[in-house]
Amino acid sequence: MKILENLTKINRRYIFLMVAVAVIVPLIIPMNLPTIPGKYTIKLYDFIDKIPPQSQPVVIAADYSPSMMPELQPMLESIIRHCFAKKVRVIVLTLDPNGAALSEAALKKIAPEYDAVYGRDYAFLGFKPGSSIVMMSIGENIRQAFPADFYGKSLDSLPMMANVRNYADIPIVVSIAGSAITQSWIAYAGTRYHANVGSGCTAVSTADYYPFLQSGQLVGLLNGMKGASEYEYLNQKNGYSKAPRVAGKGMDAVSIVHLLLMAFIIIGNVGYLVARHNQSKKQGA
Amino acid sequence: MIFSTNPWVWVAAILTLCIFSFLYKENPFYRFAEHLFVGISAGYGVAVYWNNAIVPNLFVPLFQQHNWWFIIPGLLGMMFFFRFNQKTGWLILIPMAVLLGTGSGMSLAPTIQTNILKQMQSALADATNLKLGGWGLIWGIVTLFGVITTLSYFFFSREQKGLLRVSANIGVWFIMIGFGASFGNTVMGRISLLIGRVQFLLTDWIHIIK
Amino acid sequence: MKRQIPLIIVLTLGIVFFIQFFIPSQISTNIYQTTLQWEIVISAFAIVLAIGSLINHHMLKIQRRKPHWWNSIVTLIAMLVMALLGILGRVEGMESLGQLYRTLFLYVQAPMDSAMFAILAFYMASAAYRAFRARSQEAALLLISGFIIMLGVVPFGSLLWSKIPDIAEWIMMVPNMAAKRGILFGVGLGMTATSLKIILGIERSWLGGGGK
Repeated sequence: MKILENLTKINRRYIFLMVAVAVIVPLIIPMNLPTIPGKYTIKLYDFIDKIPPQSQPVVIAADYSPSMMPELQPMLESIIRHCFAKKVRVIVLTLDPNGAALSEAALKKIAPEYDAVYGRDYAFLGFKPGSSIVMMSIGENIRQAFPADFYGKSLDSLPMMANVRNYADIPIVVSIAGSAITQSWIAYAGTRYHANVGSGCTAVSTADYYPFLQSGQLVGLLNGMKGASEYEYLNQKNGYSKAPRVAGKGMDAVSIVHLLLMAFIIIGNVGYLVARHNQSKKQGA
Repeated sequence: MIFSTNPWVWVAAILTLCIFSFLYKENPFYRFAEHLFVGISAGYGVAVYWNNAIVPNLFVPLFQQHNWWFIIPGLLGMMFFFRFNQKTGWLILIPMAVLLGTGSGMSLAPTIQTNILKQMQSALADATNLKLGGWGLIWGIVTLFGVITTLSYFFFSREQKGLLRVSANIGVWFIMIGFGASFGNTVMGRISLLIGRVQFLLTDWIHIIK
Repeated sequence: MKRQIPLIIVLTLGIVFFIQFFIPSQISTNIYQTTLQWEIVISAFAIVLAIGSLINHHMLKIQRRKPHWWNSIVTLIAMLVMALLGILGRVEGMESLGQLYRTLFLYVQAPMDSAMFAILAFYMASAAYRAFRARSQEAALLLISGFIIMLGVVPFGSLLWSKIPDIAEWIMMVPNMAAKRGILFGVGLGMTATSLKIILGIERSWLGGGGK
């Protein structure tokens, strides 16, 4: 009994150490646990997969900062790879200033893998402040919010933008975000301008988006690193990508840390119940 | 173990370790990294706002296309600078009023439609759609029941007793399950962020994993 | 006067753009489109407030020689250097500065930002171990739901029992969604009420000094 009570008093630095080991070991010695794509990952994947090649472009809004990179950057990269492999045109923009450098880095890395040509296969519009204002502006005319791309070139000089005016010419907006900005995309692009909206969100906010999935306001959803890993898996399975699965590798470590954390919670609770039992016994005596 | 030969990777790795050192206790390395981070990100933001908004959305229409109407938003925006003078400080209320007024007016209808009408429609549709049949219909009814009881928990205009209290108590169960779901996912999210950093250290810096 | 002008602007613009949603005539659409273009410009200048406060805070720290004041010099120099690199890097012939700006973002700012959030994983583990107790029925419910989701979202869960991901999905789609939808209604009503209060001048805290 004393041991159980003492188990609740482990120094927090030992806990930190155990978490570090639980993360590092599965990364060095992978277990290659299976990936089973979830329903909403498949929905988003299938929606993009069905867009005809060389037709109207998908808009990817990379609204996140480096703090959310491990969850969201693999999503962005996987969706771009999927589009490039299928010859689906891509417009990347961001409403978070930090997203500009992150999405530019992703495009520069991936475009050469698929011989994607700037202006023909993809366009990078960069950052604009004002979030909901920008979303509504795109609904009127994308050139109002983005008169030029990230590099200062007029949108009219990019061949792929020739027939793109507003959401009516965009099959889907995929909001990859680490904040509640996806809800604004749903309200302004989705509700006000009837655009299809998909989401790639951090696991922290996944549970909050289920009402939108059920109501059909979201086409599909990628749930944090799990969703990114599933999208990477689908890309590889269908021969669209040969890139290493960054998120896929991370999921082994997530599994182990989840088990460790559950063990911590169980130990903490057993110790708590024992202490409570002992206390009530003392009071009874 | 082969270390990277890229000096920038070393910079990134050392700064990562400076931040991680906070886990032991606050120290000068952490404080230095923290201040450097604040400065770098503020400077980054200034340049992004300048290059991506001020130049293309104000200077180009104004000075290249000679669309003089853009003087108005330019002047309104410049009013934010009055903040730093006590006498004229109140003038920043004008651009703020423009942003708040338009923002509030434009957001009213989409918010009502998105958060209330569409959600209500969807909740009622699933609870009454006989085509769903069997479990689908049952879960639709359970969900609607959950929504109503959750709302009753937040209903404070009346003392919570009798039926309202029973309903609010059931609502708490739904809320707790919902928070549990959020917690489970949050754990995954936070661990993912740590994994990302460790992946960088082990892959890019010391090349242990490929 | 100082408060009435902003209140009149908010009232007028709020009403105009609420009505505009329902009357998409050519004139109202033109006004709406122009306003959207202008708003982006005005929003861009709002960064002045953040940067101004940051500079003020660190200048004061340096002037008053507060503890660790030298770190404030690091902040100010880093900000100045980064801003100049980013702005000058767009000038023809100075592209190398722009390249350095990108490199500093990717190898200095991004790693530190990521690392700051990464350490939360350790604190979360420690907090869960110390404080996550099934003290009541409600807390037990939260715990059980959290456990099932934690197992359901990782590949390990389905290896333990193939039904776990299905149960986790049911929790997400039925009880979780019911609770979140209820909360969403509340948020929607709250946002609507706040917008109306701002437009009608009932909510005046944004004027400073509580609007008195």
